[in-house]
Amino acid sequence: MMRARGLRWTSWVLGAASLVAVAGFAWPLVAAAVPRDAQAAVPIVALALVPALVVAVALVLDREMYSAHTVALLGMLTAIGSAVRIAGAGVGGVEVVFIVLILAGRAYGPHFGLMLGMLTIAMSSVLSGGLGPWTPFQAFACGWVAAGAGLLPRIRLGSPRSSARLEILMLVGYGIIASYGFGLIMNLWFWPFAVGSGTGISYLPGAPLTQNLASFGLYSFVTSTLTWDTVRAATSAIGILLVGPAALAALRRATLGRPSADRARVRRRSTVPPGDGTRTRRSTAPDAVAAPPTVRRPSARA
Amino acid sequence: MPRSRLVTLRTTALVAVGFVALRVVYRMIFGGGSGDGLLLVNLPRVALPGPFVGIQLFGPITSGGIANAVFGALPFATAILLVGLIGVVIDVRALLTRGSIRGPVRTVARALLVAWSTFPALRESVVRVQRARELRGERSLASLLVPVLEQTVERAIALGASMEVRGFAAVRRHDPDCERPVAISDAAIGFDGRWLLERVSFLLEPGTLTLVTGRTGSGKSSMLDAMSGLFQHLRGGEQDGKISIGGVDRTTAPPRETAAFVGVVSQWVRLSFVAPTVAEELGFALTIRGVAHAIVDVRVAEIASHLRMEHLLDREIAALSAGEACLVAIGAALVSHPVLLIVDEPLADLDTAARARVVGVLDRLAHDAGVCVVVAEHALGEWGAVVDAQLHLADGRAELLPGSVADSAVGRWAAARDRRARPASGNGGDDPVASIRGLSVTHAGRLAVDEVSFTLAAGEIVALAGPNGAGKSSLLQAMALPATRGTVVVRGRDVGTLRRVARRRAVALVPEAFDDLLFATTVAAECRRADRQADRRADHRAASSGTADAFLQFLGRQECGDTQDLLGRHPRELSAGERLCLVIAIQLSAHPSVLLVDEPTRGLDVTARALVGRALTHAAARGAAVMVATHDRDFAAEYATRTIAMAAGRLLPATSEVTA
Repeated sequence: MMRARGLRWTSWVLGAASLVAVAGFAWPLVAAAVPRDAQAAVPIVALALVPALVVAVALVLDREMYSAHTVALLGMLTAIGSAVRIAGAGVGGVEVVFIVLILAGRAYGPHFGLMLGMLTIAMSSVLSGGLGPWTPFQAFACGWVAAGAGLLPRIRLGSPRSSARLEILMLVGYGIIASYGFGLIMNLWFWPFAVGSGTGISYLPGAPLTQNLASFGLYSFVTSTLTWDTVRAATSAIGILLVGPAALAALRRATLGRPSADRARVRRRSTVPPGDGTRTRRSTAPDAVAAPPTVRRPSARA
Repeated sequence: MPRSRLVTLRTTALVAVGFVALRVVYRMIFGGGSGDGLLLVNLPRVALPGPFVGIQLFGPITSGGIANAVFGALPFATAILLVGLIGVVIDVRALLTRGSIRGPVRTVARALLVAWSTFPALRESVVRVQRARELRGERSLASLLVPVLEQTVERAIALGASMEVRGFAAVRRHDPDCERPVAISDAAIGFDGRWLLERVSFLLEPGTLTLVTGRTGSGKSSMLDAMSGLFQHLRGGEQDGKISIGGVDRTTAPPRETAAFVGVVSQWVRLSFVAPTVAEELGFALTIRGVAHAIVDVRVAEIASHLRMEHLLDREIAALSAGEACLVAIGAALVSHPVLLIVDEPLADLDTAARARVVGVLDRLAHDAGVCVVVAEHALGEWGAVVDAQLHLADGRAELLPGSVADSAVGRWAAARDRRARPASGNGGDDPVASIRGLSVTHAGRLAVDEVSFTLAAGEIVALAGPNGAGKSSLLQAMALPATRGTVVVRGRDVGTLRRVARRRAVALVPEAFDDLLFATTVAAECRRADRQADRRADHRAASSGTADAFLQFLGRQECGDTQDLLGRHPRELSAGERLCLVIAIQLSAHPSVLLVDEPTRGLDVTARALVGRALTHAAARGAAVMVATHDRDFAAEYATRTIAMAAGRLLPATSEVTA
């Protein structure tokens, strides 16, 4: 009971942090609502806010996930995710990492997914030297991709087989949406920095929202939606379709949840008569020990 | 500065320069290239239609415009460099090590450390699975990703258990009653309301060595896990009755809270290693408890000298032999002076010399150091002389037998019953199907197989014997995937020149890590896949349901009504013996002339070995030449028609015929 309440509390905090982070991602659009004098500070605030939120989310999740089983799973999957991400960078942005994130987020839930996405980005950035101002933004976006898969509804429809198939189809669809969404949201915060001022698609502080949206739309369309995002969506969809069923089965064999329970499951034996049920129960007096205690066998050491 | 950091520095600089260049390109394309200075190119302006009205492409490009773009990009490029420098200056690894012991980011730091030390194992796993894929003739993405993921999950479970039993994340610690290491009365353990073992009662005293014996599936590992607490607290098992370890009730105390006095060595020691080096591995339990460095070092040195492995301390975990790995795992469990030491099948992987050493170490621990040692093993075997009591598990009951009275009479009886009449081995040598000519293998500059030559005949089962490191696995590998031409000739065709499909029809290998070949979600799907592949071949020699039939035949289950249930199961839910039979059936689907099997009996009990022996006999009866690398002499004597021995990469001259 305590635990359930604790979990719900964590979920609220994570949700609120994510909402604020979304505002940080969307700073070029949010800036219009800020008083004119303060507009120059908006990009700087956004660049500082998102890393701070990453730290906050990590601190919240850290307490919740501190158990041997969870840490081991997080570590191993982070290793796979980073390896796949680094290897993928070598073959022209074929991002297989989303397959790992989406399937793991689906199997282990949104909190685990959020953490896994963040750790994968952290690890791969440190190893490949790709650390930059974008790292916290990538961490959040990848965390959301994984968490989203965990937030999708559970499917119960007809036989277990057909619901398993439907689940894979749902994840394929989600993979495509997540790929384009990831590209868009990563472009949104970076676009003013990437393009700079003085071009036709530059971010104009104080300009009407529609004009900025049109500029952003063209920038995004040309630079990523058509190319990287489409490749990513295709690889994610095909990957989930091919690997999904077996991979989910493998992941679910190591379910989370029960390990953190502090009390073992104790079941009274009498409620379930095993075998033919004709057995009579013996005395359960605390010290009724049937077998003789082992003692050191003299002959063994003689 | 280490080389890797210089690389990082270069990458960061390149990224920053790239960023500036990109800004310039954007300016030129999206109509922002104009300004003062020299006019470089004058491109015509293009206005965009539709939603993008008002946006113009191209236009004149001047040197001033480019300079503006560069200067505008400098602040953010500096930010890139600065953040990149953080990664160069900070020793991330040291920071993580510190953060993983205490503080608010222990989970993050520990998970990243685990990830870091997993990379070598991950690379190895990918290489292995790639080879397995080649052996099965598969090229799909699933056949690579699924086994790697399976292994990762398996490793994560083992690693989680190993961290748990060493006290990771413990908030409370119990004090032991050293005189009562194990007291179990009227206990039952099981899953989901079905009891695996019932009415278990026994007491174990300090300074004794108890062997838990029984067949595969009799509940040995579960019994051990129930003592360590993993069964109730990590694996989701249920318990009834009383299991008291060191005077502490097991239902209320998870393994991490008793780590200070219960040492656990898992069956798969390599999967349970947490640290990158031996010294760190030995000290892990103390380090995570926050014990000072100096004290940890002293304790680690003490353990190393006790187990006579000081020379291993600086060794990387990945570079240990099987016997050394086992000793290191025992050492890591001893570091906090346990009252009870639980060891699950320590000998399965080891050759004769290493076995004797491990038995000796556990003997000394029990009878000199006064530890209560509990070991699970299929049979009494080499433990006979040192065992104080035997806990035999059979039919859901546990019986404590003093000394080695029981021996393995049951096992011997089962072996005799399962012995099958071998096919007539008279045709051995009459019909040579494969000849190996001067085959050599080099591993990292070391000659693993040295100019080996021999022939194999149809219908014979050849045992390849020899100690660990003799080159048996390398030889089989090279026969299945020859690197040089002209060394392996099967039915007159040079295997080195054959393509995937033809090669599988000539030679098939079941590797020691046979699970690598499986990647479907049901046994039936696995078999269908193998059949489809076999059908793709030019001549249709086989009916297309061959693999499933062969599998059921190996298990002796053709006539049973419940075959659908068996075929519908996930391959990983099968027992090890059944899984091995499945892989043998898959590798036989292409009707290879030569079937090679690497260490098929490792960790299998009598029944499972009989199952595998029968599968090999069937394969030979169908006309394949079967060759089995094994250091299991009994198995070789029972099923092989002849034995060839290998040592230090060469075949030994005396090739003895085994009489049937």
